[in-house]
Amino acid sequence: MARNKRRWLWACCAAALALPVASGAAFRIKVMDSSRAHVPSNVAWTSETIREANGGDALRGLLISRRCERCHGQEGFSPSPSIPNLASMNSLVIWKQLEDFRTGKRVSEVMERIAGALSPQDSADLGAYYSLLPNSPDPMDSRSFPEPISNAALLGVAARLISLGDGHRGIPPCQACHGPVAYVLGAPSLTTQNSDYILRELEQFSEGSRANDINLRMRSIASQLTDDEKQALAEYYGAGRGNLPAAAISK
Amino acid sequence: MQARSIQFAIGIALLACTILATRVYEVDAPLWRLLQGGNLIDSATLHLGGEFAESNLGSQRDPDGSITLRMIAQQYDFVPSCVVVPVQVSVHLRITSADAVHVLTIANTNVAVKAVPGKISDSFFELDHTGEFDLPCREFCGAGHYAMRAHLVVVPQSQFPSLGPAERAVCGAK
Repeated sequence: MARNKRRWLWACCAAALALPVASGAAFRIKVMDSSRAHVPSNVAWTSETIREANGGDALRGLLISRRCERCHGQEGFSPSPSIPNLASMNSLVIWKQLEDFRTGKRVSEVMERIAGALSPQDSADLGAYYSLLPNSPDPMDSRSFPEPISNAALLGVAARLISLGDGHRGIPPCQACHGPVAYVLGAPSLTTQNSDYILRELEQFSEGSRANDINLRMRSIASQLTDDEKQALAEYYGAGRGNLPAAAISK
Repeated sequence: MQARSIQFAIGIALLACTILATRVYEVDAPLWRLLQGGNLIDSATLHLGGEFAESNLGSQRDPDGSITLRMIAQQYDFVPSCVVVPVQVSVHLRITSADAVHVLTIANTNVAVKAVPGKISDSFFELDHTGEFDLPCREFCGAGHYAMRAHLVVVPQSQFPSLGPAERAVCGAK
């Protein structure tokens, strides 16, 4: 009898010990080497940088933009869904991405060469021009945006992430930084962005092959998203649904 | 009569100076440490290098065995989004903000540290049981505030990796 009781005691002790271990097992401890510093981007949003990036000449930007037309469209809406739309993009966004391509912080065979031929003033001029373009595509123009939704079941998932995020996993609502609710410095508007492009960038952020986000912002968020969620977000924005603030419960 | 009111005024002034010198409301650091300048940092250039460069964030093992934990608060997450410390070891938390004012709270404990852009907040704590803690932001910081949350995992000392001087520990979802 006494031995039986002791056995129970041992079982309880083992269970109590196993509990914190089991709950801790949901996480993996990673050790990083701080001597190998990674600088995500040479751009820092100091007041001088913001003044420089905002001080573009839109007319000069219009002339330079003829180099961008073939891929990004005449009015900033791309004919291919894997190439980003630039219409009405904030000038700071365009300035930062061109600077990152130029310095090799963001990798793209095509864009690194094109950005390398531009000066910082050219980037600011392009930003001034593209930020003035209307964010509704010309119906007569050849462009891929907006695309039909392939899987309607994913819309609710996307609307929830965009409007509420998922606090438990530390995912903030997309629309708090990428519009239309609010924007943070250097965050691109996603309200009229192409689906394939969004999906590709989310995948690259989550695997770390794109790492030009300041202070790990998008890398830490994208690595928390499941494949289905990335697909859902890309389709939601690619269908033009991001123009209005998302509601948590979509019809 | 006059002398007494002057005494009263001096007394009030002394009291106000004492309160100011011991604690500044904006930052969890005494005034003299702020005046030394060691706790000031440019919030726009954190990622370019220095103490809050992204490879230097996380837990560092100090020579005396305690832990220094460095984090950044920004709209709308804390980085690293998952941090790990050993149980029953003194932790020195150093946190700064990249944009707005945030407050890092360790849920179910009495730790709450204000993160202010341009300043580094110091806080010391020691947790006496293992487990997983939520780290929500407790100061309204913008449209995504309510989803701003990180995780703290407190592991037994035997499970915490033995860190070299240049190594930093963080955690991630499996």
